[in-house]
Amino acid sequence: MEASEKIRVLLVDDETDYLEITAKRLTRRGYDVVTAADCMTGLALIADSRIDVVVLDMMLPDMDGNDCLREIRKDDHSIGVIMLTGHASVHTGLTCLENGANDYCLKPVPLDELVEKIEIVYRDMKYGEKTS
Amino acid sequence: MIVMVWNGYRYVMSGKLKTGLKRIAAVFSISGPQVDADVLEESFRNHYRGFRALLTANNSALDLMAGMERALTRGRPFGMAFVRGQCTALTVNVYKMIHSLQEISDGKYQGLTPALEEISGKIEEILARQPEVPPGEYVVSLSQISKEDADAVGEKMANLGEVHNRAGFEIPAGFAITAAASQYFMHSTGLQDEINRLLKTVDLENLEELYTTSARIQHLISVAPLPDDLERRIMENYRALSSGDGINPLISMRSSATEEDGSGASFAGQYRTQLNISEDSIIETYKEIVASKYGSQAIIYRHQRGFRHQDVIMCVGCMVMVDAVVSGVMFSRSPQDPDSSMVEINAAPGLGRRVVEGITDTDFYQLFREDPTEVSHRGPGKVGSHLTPEKQRELAGIAISLEEHFGVPQDIEWSIVESGKVTILQSRPLAQLSQDDKSPARQEEVRSGDLLVAGGLSASRGTAFGEIFEVRSNVDLLEFPKGAVLVVKHPMPEWASLMNRASAVVSETGHAATHLAIVAREFGVPAIFGLKNAMKHLENGAVVTVDADSCRVYRGRREDVLARSVPPPNLMVGSPIYHILEEIMTLVIPLNLTDPSSPYFKPSQCRSLHDLTRFCHEKAVDKMFTFGKMSGFAAKSAKQLVGESPFQWWVLDLDDGFREGYDVKQKYVSWDDIVCEPMKAIWAGMIRKPWQGPPPVSVKGFGSVLFRSTMNPSLDPAVRASLGNRNFFLISRNFCNLSMRLGYHFTLAEAYLGDMLTENYVSFQFKGGAADRSRRFTRVYLLRDILERYGFRVEVKLDALTARIEKKPREYLIERLKVLGYLLIHTRQIDMAMGDQNMVDRYRRRITGDLDEIVKPNPIEGE
Repeated sequence: MEASEKIRVLLVDDETDYLEITAKRLTRRGYDVVTAADCMTGLALIADSRIDVVVLDMMLPDMDGNDCLREIRKDDHSIGVIMLTGHASVHTGLTCLENGANDYCLKPVPLDELVEKIEIVYRDMKYGEKTS
Repeated sequence: MIVMVWNGYRYVMSGKLKTGLKRIAAVFSISGPQVDADVLEESFRNHYRGFRALLTANNSALDLMAGMERALTRGRPFGMAFVRGQCTALTVNVYKMIHSLQEISDGKYQGLTPALEEISGKIEEILARQPEVPPGEYVVSLSQISKEDADAVGEKMANLGEVHNRAGFEIPAGFAITAAASQYFMHSTGLQDEINRLLKTVDLENLEELYTTSARIQHLISVAPLPDDLERRIMENYRALSSGDGINPLISMRSSATEEDGSGASFAGQYRTQLNISEDSIIETYKEIVASKYGSQAIIYRHQRGFRHQDVIMCVGCMVMVDAVVSGVMFSRSPQDPDSSMVEINAAPGLGRRVVEGITDTDFYQLFREDPTEVSHRGPGKVGSHLTPEKQRELAGIAISLEEHFGVPQDIEWSIVESGKVTILQSRPLAQLSQDDKSPARQEEVRSGDLLVAGGLSASRGTAFGEIFEVRSNVDLLEFPKGAVLVVKHPMPEWASLMNRASAVVSETGHAATHLAIVAREFGVPAIFGLKNAMKHLENGAVVTVDADSCRVYRGRREDVLARSVPPPNLMVGSPIYHILEEIMTLVIPLNLTDPSSPYFKPSQCRSLHDLTRFCHEKAVDKMFTFGKMSGFAAKSAKQLVGESPFQWWVLDLDDGFREGYDVKQKYVSWDDIVCEPMKAIWAGMIRKPWQGPPPVSVKGFGSVLFRSTMNPSLDPAVRASLGNRNFFLISRNFCNLSMRLGYHFTLAEAYLGDMLTENYVSFQFKGGAADRSRRFTRVYLLRDILERYGFRVEVKLDALTARIEKKPREYLIERLKVLGYLLIHTRQIDMAMGDQNMVDRYRRRITGDLDEIVKPNPIEGE
């Protein structure tokens, strides 16, 4: 796959070890990965470059994950957003989806599961853009 | 809302389609709708995208539901993190389905969101429920306690109070520090929040991490200050125990957790008991015992038995030390035999602790319940050296009385003081083998060289196989591999944390009354105790077969011995977490919406998450099928299939199910035009064997058809034509959804065969039939048996059947689709012939014979 065709994933998480390792592993799986340790950096990356899928942690130092999600959705409905959380809650899960997340999953996510979710979200988001 | 009339049909367009309304309106002319193909194509793509997202979510939701059901039946331990995680993931997927359906159906089903909110709200309520701690005194005298006080003072102290205050036996003087006190201590210091935080992240599989966390928590508790008023109350009660001479006595302090014993889980030896405590170390010891709730083996034990940490509250019993001459443990019946007519007594000189920890050799007495004269004695002491026949009889009498008093066989700790008075220190329900596990031990042939060591006694019956692993210290414990045979010198209670890892236990000392034996029986781990020189004969790393029925250890794997092993018990059943999941399942699984043609098939009738998935799926399929017709869009209108078939079929191409170059303006499609793999597989099964026509029907069978038609207006033959026309395939290259509504039958088969294994599935739904209930049921059971034979997970409710396989390779699923294709053709109408058992058997034989011919044997079958 050419670099330009790679799915571009933005990981936003303040746990830097997790961020680094996940970025490395996703890169090895053929993704073009960029990272941000807080929301503002993440939002800036989204504004300045092409991002296909964002993997967004719920608990971030500068902003609540849900607020960050709403910010993303203000301008962009074509980016896939997967929310990550350490604590499962039915209510939070539903709130994320109501705010426009494509998926919601629990930490720790096995890499295979994360890859699968990225693929599905990307496929669903991009399908409408395909020309016949 | 726009109402469009086209070809005599009325169509309503709103919501999502409204967003592109201007574009669509522009291409509608007064003379008739000449819809721009690009606009419709784009609209269809959006619909299809929503449809696919809905199918993915449906797949995940059904998979999650199956996982939750498996958790209830398999007996493997699961915690609240699992329950909460599954509920969250499931609700999220149902939400996605509703969202997708609303998108493709112009927001038509407004009732779905409130239905989901109601169900998920109830689920959250169950998840958030906390055990109630009865408010009240921090300290209560044992003389005021009975078994109803278990929530306030813990099971152990409540039972002990009962032994004295109601059953009338001697117990030591003392008091209990209550659950309210423990809660007061843990919450007033802010400890509980910190502990919860530490426990949330701990990985129970990582013993080293667990030990560190456990030690940290116990340390936090031991250094936290006890609230002054609580300390004062404890010390006042302690001083009240002093005899007239003003000397403050030594006391024993025993853990007495709520939920211990009473719930069927023994928690034997999991928490701390301290003896000979003097005045100045009471408070310190109290905190130590409260902290022992977070001992690593207790944390593992709770997880294995389905307890949340908050379900267990640590109370502490404080009792004047008994100056024991001889002590022991007795069972009102044999733990190994529920029907036993014997009382069993273990006795040793001094305090009883050495007996329950299995450190010391004990005298062992068995007495007939009917006539308690000693019948057997075994042990290092001489007969009668520790217990006179009178004392044996007295003890046996107490054991029988306590069993009668509590209504279940008892496991009793006792001491005898110098004066000869018997004092009861504990009485709890006896952990026994179930009736099913009680088959008599067979003596296997002993081949020369096979037998490594024999002897000792059976502490927990059964047979197992594994590698020897000797444990001498906590360091060895950390290294213990899963499935190994635990070999130890003494059966110490702390080895109980290995009962979820060990395949069997062999100990040089000990007996059936030790805490470790109780836990081994609970977990179904075979155990031989008191096997002298076991460590000398059993070499670390050697592979052995342990037969705890005949107390032998064989070299290597002995299949004849292992053939007797029984599956481990389901330890989760009846536990608090099990109950929570069970209650949640009543909001998840029951399928009330089984008939799409019923007037009750609507959002307001969705009472479970399963109902919601069923509704969304049905309506989405419907929506996709009618899209082309609604919009007059030829490319996405159903084409009639040309070719030999017993029925007429319409095929709708969702994406890439027709070959490239197929002219979409045609009204017909032929087999050569179709490139959908799952459809081809179903078709291959359909046409492989010629249909032999409807079965010969008895007058009664036909009569029942007529009767149903009369009784149920929706089955009036006059309306059959419209139902009969709805045989269709919705396809793409990897996906196929087949719907058949033939007369009284409704059948749906769906499959996705993609590159990601987790996305692959085949599902099948079947309902109805023309014959009476019993014939329809017989057919559904026949179908169930056949489908299960091919690896489907099948559920039957009345005459409705659903079957599913997922996460299997494409080749495997293709063969299953052939099975469905065959069944679709060859089992319709046979319900009418299901009144006659011979006929049922004949059909069963023919169907299985045909299918064995059609389906390729698959290497992964039976996985």
